[in-house]
Amino acid sequence: MDWSTVFSMSTLVNTVNTATIVVLAGLGCLLTDQVGIMSIGIDGMMTAGAFAAVMGSWLCGSWLMGIVFALAAGLLFGLFYAVFVVRFKSDEFIIGVAMNIFAVALTTFMLRSIPGQTGSFHPATGTVTKLPAFTLTLPGGTPVTLSLMVPLSWLLVAVCWVMMYRTPLGYWLHASGEHPESLRSVGRSPERMRYLGSLLCGLLCGLSGAYLSLGYLSTFTENMSASRGYVAVACVIFGRSNPLYVFLAALLFGFIDTAGQRMQGVVDPTLTATFPYIGTILMMVLLAARTAIRKRRA
Amino acid sequence: MKKFLAVLLTVCLVASMAAFSLAEGKKTPSIAIVVAGSLGDRSFYDSANSGVEQLAADFGTETKVIECKEDASLYLSSLLEAAESCDIIAAVGWQFFDSLGEASEAFPNKKFIFIDNAFDEIPENMMCICYKQNEGSFLAGYIAAKLSKTGKIGAVGGEDADTINDFLVGYEAGAAYANPDIIVERQYAGDYEDPAKGKECALALYSSGCDIVFQVAGKTGEGVFEAAKETGNLAIGVDGDQKYIDPEHIICSMVKRVGKSIYDVVSDPDTYFKGGTVWSANMETGYIDVTYGEEGMTQQISDEIKAEVENIRQQIISGAIIVPTTLD
Repeated sequence: MDWSTVFSMSTLVNTVNTATIVVLAGLGCLLTDQVGIMSIGIDGMMTAGAFAAVMGSWLCGSWLMGIVFALAAGLLFGLFYAVFVVRFKSDEFIIGVAMNIFAVALTTFMLRSIPGQTGSFHPATGTVTKLPAFTLTLPGGTPVTLSLMVPLSWLLVAVCWVMMYRTPLGYWLHASGEHPESLRSVGRSPERMRYLGSLLCGLLCGLSGAYLSLGYLSTFTENMSASRGYVAVACVIFGRSNPLYVFLAALLFGFIDTAGQRMQGVVDPTLTATFPYIGTILMMVLLAARTAIRKRRA
Repeated sequence: MKKFLAVLLTVCLVASMAAFSLAEGKKTPSIAIVVAGSLGDRSFYDSANSGVEQLAADFGTETKVIECKEDASLYLSSLLEAAESCDIIAAVGWQFFDSLGEASEAFPNKKFIFIDNAFDEIPENMMCICYKQNEGSFLAGYIAAKLSKTGKIGAVGGEDADTINDFLVGYEAGAAYANPDIIVERQYAGDYEDPAKGKECALALYSSGCDIVFQVAGKTGEGVFEAAKETGNLAIGVDGDQKYIDPEHIICSMVKRVGKSIYDVVSDPDTYFKGGTVWSANMETGYIDVTYGEEGMTQQISDEIKAEVENIRQQIISGAIIVPTTLD
């Protein structure tokens, strides 16, 4: 393998495909960030969504039901999170981490009890219907297959941006995190906004999980989100909670990951495995440097 | 009177226990397997588990399975937990290198089996089973090179480790034996439990022109099959006979019968358990092989190539072909 495979169309396509997992989860995470909660629990919501999607698709024989199941699972987890963090004012990090562990354990348990399988889901009867995909032919003549969820995630980025910066709802969400008292003074409940943010986060993370298990793959395995939720959190911090920047950050992370993987032919594989982490550190340093420069100017 | 009753009851109890054990016939020691990853890979760990399930079905053996889920901090405690309740403890995975020595010292009266790795000095209560995966992988490489139309084949390894590389050097040697001009590409996923990563690796290989990919990555390998299906290319399974997963795209499997070796040791420890030694489970004894799925499945490999493979198999067994290895 040489440099031409590292920087190829296939690398770009795979970057977009894998980044979609992080984009959807990142959108969810930034909405909770808006309402003043740092949602570390999104990894668990994704795991739950991934499991529910496969179960829905398998039980009902339709990918649409898979999505519905995933949304429901995400919503439940979002509600669970909101009840503890907003209602009972528990520590969001502890609840988030607990939720991540809980989601892995719960899906493992349910995988063993509902279809009675261990580790990964491979039905003896029935099939898992994948999300629909379509094939485009690029100008160069290369056919590219994208899952329906990929353009949908782009649409959601736009919707999220418009909602945040062009609608009153967006400002209310933001105010509930930034300055709850001002929101209360105009007769709106910050708690209600926080609930909304957390529930929307659950829905988006459910979608992200559904894409992982039904769009990118067609199976569920234990702990399959493999900490991609934390990458999404990093993207939200790096993208300063702006949907567009978070989207770009996710693409950048995806590219570092995919290109790094493919550099194994030219660079030592033990070194390429560190690329995503080196990339993260570099980006955070850049971000800190930029903030410092801005502060000095101001 | 009280004393008499007590004696009578004791006699009854002993008698019933004796009768019970007589009725059971052949009794095997109890077995615990501790796996480094988690079950459900339809490969290495599931193979080990199938051996244990077979023991329970055939002899009613008491069995126990503990999964460490790739968490190195659980290795030692899981081994100790297993040793407390079972007679034979099989540590499944080369990863137990650091913890198994300590566990076997703590329980000198229990028997330990180390699957897939060996120590330089093996204690008396432990045996190591090393598999000649390089021999089977040689056949897989030969088949892949024969079937490749692009002259380029690939392999996805779980990580850059000796045991995984043992598969890969065998695979490369077999491919070169079939076609000296073949190009073999490697990708390491760096994870045994992440199918999405496996798919990424396989897509990288397929897009660089490989048309057959051999997966040696456990659950991560599920993603390799997914990529083969999506791009219309071929793949080779590992450890278990994986052809059934997708007969249209999986051409054959390099099987490593971990389950059978555990079964043999536990069902007949007098013959098979030799403390302090390394048992090399190879192609000759049938623990390593290449399989083509069950009857009725689509076959991509012609009968001529299968005959050639059989011929090479005999040559490996007779020692005419020496397959390179990264171990020993």
